[in-house]
Amino acid sequence: MRFLFELAFTILIATTIGFATAWYAVDRGVVFGTVTVGAWKAWPLEGSANADPYSLAMLARSGEIPLGGGEGIAFTATTDSRGNPLSGHCTYAVDGQTPPARLWTLTAYDALGHLMPNAAGRTGFLSREILRRPDGDFVITLAGDVAPGNWLPIAPVDRFKLVLRLYDTPLTTGSQLAGVTMPRIIAGACS
Amino acid sequence: MRRTLLYALGGLLLAGVIHIAIIFLVPYFATRDAWSAIAKLGAEGEFHILPLGDSGPDTLPALDPRLLHAVCRFSIADNPIRIQAQLPSDFWSIAIFDRRGRNLYSLNDRSAERTQLDLAILTPVQMAQMREDPPASLEQAVVIELPVQAGFAVLRVLVADDSMLPAATRALQGANCAATL
Repeated sequence: MRFLFELAFTILIATTIGFATAWYAVDRGVVFGTVTVGAWKAWPLEGSANADPYSLAMLARSGEIPLGGGEGIAFTATTDSRGNPLSGHCTYAVDGQTPPARLWTLTAYDALGHLMPNAAGRTGFLSREILRRPDGDFVITLAGDVAPGNWLPIAPVDRFKLVLRLYDTPLTTGSQLAGVTMPRIIAGACS
Repeated sequence: MRRTLLYALGGLLLAGVIHIAIIFLVPYFATRDAWSAIAKLGAEGEFHILPLGDSGPDTLPALDPRLLHAVCRFSIADNPIRIQAQLPSDFWSIAIFDRRGRNLYSLNDRSAERTQLDLAILTPVQMAQMREDPPASLEQAVVIELPVQAGFAVLRVLVADDSMLPAATRALQGANCAATL
């Protein structure tokens, strides 16, 4: 009798912890090979034949197709440079430079990975369209209301994420990526 | 007490095994993965153009809205295939994935060094047979050997502005992923 109890106890521990940690790892994107630069995260292994099982599980669940190493690399930010979550009720300035790439795009998605519809019909920026300062740096303003300069509209959602995709870039390995300069994401006023 | 601890330890070890098993099995049981989504778009062996941006169910999540995407499921179990397309002179790229979403190969326009995409995909066995008698038609092609039976190709073309969309659409409509060697 006691043996049965203990066996049930063991199985309970095993299934609870096993499922919980697996769910956590896949859902939260706790993956080996994450490259973090400020608020930006990249998963260079995702686009290679050496992708780890966690990356593959995440991709299978989200249905996303990653960029291959020969195509480019995507950086994702879900927080500003201070670590606060990005909210559609605030304005943000994406300020600075991007790593070397032939072209890049900056896109804002809602928490589920959908584009946010807006009256301006603008869902992302292409590097060639950006107005730059004389030193080559740029500022992209993320705001719900019309803003001067490079304005990327966002919807008043609780959480959103930014994806900066570098196409045709010499940076493909994790160690190269870890040392790059990424633009800062500076929070402004919130409503 | 010691006995209970021992059982708890056993439970933790078993939890590790369950964790690893789940992580490895997720791609095999996922129903919303890219392969399933692409299978819903239509037949194997032809490129399907995804709407620019994301509108509705007939697309994949979190695509770059500044690029036009076309996807094609292929099988090389019986015969090798060849992917051919005449693409615009601006940025384009192609990536080959296996059924579980693992990226096996990728190429962009600059590494291809021309606007014409010609990519032959063979299994290792087909490659060995081909080496004995290489067809002359493959001289211009990029030939890659993939250890899979089936997979999918994703072709991306930059749409720098709206005026580029018709040319990009025409290029992807003309793309062929079931050509023979």
